[in-house]
Amino acid sequence: MAELHIIGQIVGASGFPQSSLFCKWGVHTGGAWRLLSGLKEGQTQVDIPQTGDMAFWSHPIDLHYATKGLQGWPKFHLQVWHQDLFGRSQLYGYGHCHVPSSPGRHRISCVTWRPLGSWQEQFTQMFVGGGLQLRNPDLIYSGADRYRLRTEAMGTVELELGVIMRHFDKYGVEN
Amino acid sequence: MADTWNTDTGEAVYRSRDAVKNLKVKVRIEKVTSTVALSQHLQHEVLSQQNRGAIELETLTSQGQTGDNEEELVVGWQEKLFSQYEMELFQNEAACQTPLDCQYHTEVNALNKAKGRRNKRIFTYTDHDRYTQYLAFHQMYSNDILTTTKSKPTFLAERMASLTHRRSDRRTVDCSIPKSKIINWEPTEEFVKSSRVVNNAMQTMHIMGDLGPPGRLGVRENECLLITIKTDGIGTIIVKPDFNKGKEPYRIVTEGEKREVWCLTVENVSTALKADEKHREQMMYKDLYVRHKDYLNSLVGQDFEMPPVGVLRYMVNGEIVSAKGFEYDNLYIHFFMELPNNWSSLSSQSLSGVTQICQTKTLGKENVAFFSYPFSFEAFYMCEKESEVPQWPVLYFKVLSVDFWQRYRTEGYGYLLFPAIPGKHIVTCHTWRPLQTGTVSALKRFFIGGSPELEDQSYVRIPGTFKGERLSRFGFHTETTGSVTFNLHCIQQARVFVDATMLKKRRQKFFDQLGGFSQQGAVCTILEAFQRARRRMQEARESLPRDLISATSQLQNESSA
Repeated sequence: MAELHIIGQIVGASGFPQSSLFCKWGVHTGGAWRLLSGLKEGQTQVDIPQTGDMAFWSHPIDLHYATKGLQGWPKFHLQVWHQDLFGRSQLYGYGHCHVPSSPGRHRISCVTWRPLGSWQEQFTQMFVGGGLQLRNPDLIYSGADRYRLRTEAMGTVELELGVIMRHFDKYGVEN
Repeated sequence: MADTWNTDTGEAVYRSRDAVKNLKVKVRIEKVTSTVALSQHLQHEVLSQQNRGAIELETLTSQGQTGDNEEELVVGWQEKLFSQYEMELFQNEAACQTPLDCQYHTEVNALNKAKGRRNKRIFTYTDHDRYTQYLAFHQMYSNDILTTTKSKPTFLAERMASLTHRRSDRRTVDCSIPKSKIINWEPTEEFVKSSRVVNNAMQTMHIMGDLGPPGRLGVRENECLLITIKTDGIGTIIVKPDFNKGKEPYRIVTEGEKREVWCLTVENVSTALKADEKHREQMMYKDLYVRHKDYLNSLVGQDFEMPPVGVLRYMVNGEIVSAKGFEYDNLYIHFFMELPNNWSSLSSQSLSGVTQICQTKTLGKENVAFFSYPFSFEAFYMCEKESEVPQWPVLYFKVLSVDFWQRYRTEGYGYLLFPAIPGKHIVTCHTWRPLQTGTVSALKRFFIGGSPELEDQSYVRIPGTFKGERLSRFGFHTETTGSVTFNLHCIQQARVFVDATMLKKRRQKFFDQLGGFSQQGAVCTILEAFQRARRRMQEARESLPRDLISATSQLQNESSA
């Protein structure tokens, strides 16, 4: 049994069409992994930047996993949402990143995309807002059915993760 | 005498796992008068020249004066010792206002009925005393940080001083904040006080000295702060000034006209843990850790997935991040992995994939498409011959674009050699596409889509059919297109690495003992040779038939028994 600590934060997001963003996040692991402590999903506050276009959340992440195998290494999936003046939320991007497999502090830029509808739908979206969402958010962290999607490049989310590993060397794992 | 004083009166920070109530401090104050100083000086001289020592010093020793100019006392944590002033004050019941005062009243009465108090000059102010709160104010006005005489304390300093540094005020640390009320929209004054400034709830205790002239004790002006001890709840103890630990005493000069000099010695006399108790505690901790380990094992299981002997397991958690700088919009990437000789993968492993079609956005001067397409790749390497340099798996990809009229165009070809070093890698691959010279093909590409494609994608690297000595692509025209960025997290696992890490550790230990560097190289090679031999022996042993081994192990058991 080896142990893995992930300690860090979701720093913020930039490059989206509008600021006033919040982020829903979760961690997905394989069957051999077990969460010992910490929260594996959450949601940040809505941040409205005063200057610049980067919204900062500084949302804490502190997870402790134990595992029997290497398969299903933890990965983050993110959803960035925009909240407008009237409190309506609109999806701005889906993102995915693997948790680094080497110990130390890592700064990760996670790029995001959002589904693109037909041109009629895009037209409506331009005026009314809203837009398409994935029916099944599993698609964010699996690549199997991706080819059926048409998407649009959105902004990037910055993460800062510190990884601490224990007993992996005992099982001959080099990382 | 000036060189015999300890001038370092700064605070010292200690940490202890023990309960703070076990803290005991021995304080000693002694008045330095001219006679005392002289006699000490003389004594010192006599001791240094003992063989001459015929001088009679009986009259000069300080025996007769010990009564009032010297005091030594052991003070416990938050132990209340009354001063003469307080004894007189609390005798009077009318002066008592708070419940604490009333309690002091009864205590003082009890003391008077009994044989009296055990202290004369040294007394204490505990955390609950009024003085402890006033002192912060007092210090703020008296001890300036800057040299100017006009400096006023800042607003923040005033606020800090008005804080009651007590644990009871520690409400903000409560974790049970209701979710619906995260923000306090109407903060009360008390809330503001406790939350806007640093509130590191400390318990304080002051040990004071009444340094008045003999017979005239109990005058507040003569009270002088000797030691301040602070603790928080988690084992930090701050002592100001530090324990003497065999160094010279501290000097205290009284205020007023006489300016008497006292010397102060502080010692830590807390009873230390006995050896067997210490041992028991260590055993307890060990037991706790073992139990925790058992608990974890019961949750997850003890074993760990290992590759077979002699096999390297190579895992890549990767993602296709972005594609940048391509000519047309709406890009997608088609990729597949190739395993060289001696590599194998599980049958369930998918070795190819297609990303979604992504519309680009402008970032700087270039158009970028974001995919964040995850893939996991796991392969096994097994080699019979040790001398052979292993080839690593390759990922071939091509970037394609689709436009509004569903016309497909090849945008670029590229390949990625998986890194042989484990860890995190960000790889940017530049791509090219085959080019047909002439305007016709350019017009064709623009109007009806479709462009020359490679029949065999491994041509991007070394073609699979290639058997010659020199790889030549003469006569083949290409055009540079954009670049694709990959994020790769590589992990390698093999049983050999277990031995390697053990060897590294052992080698380090060995070098620590050796101390020198002269023979390191030789020792290294010998150790490695030994390890190799041992491994070979183990392998040979494993290849032996089972029953033979069990028979020998039985034999061994018998012989050892």
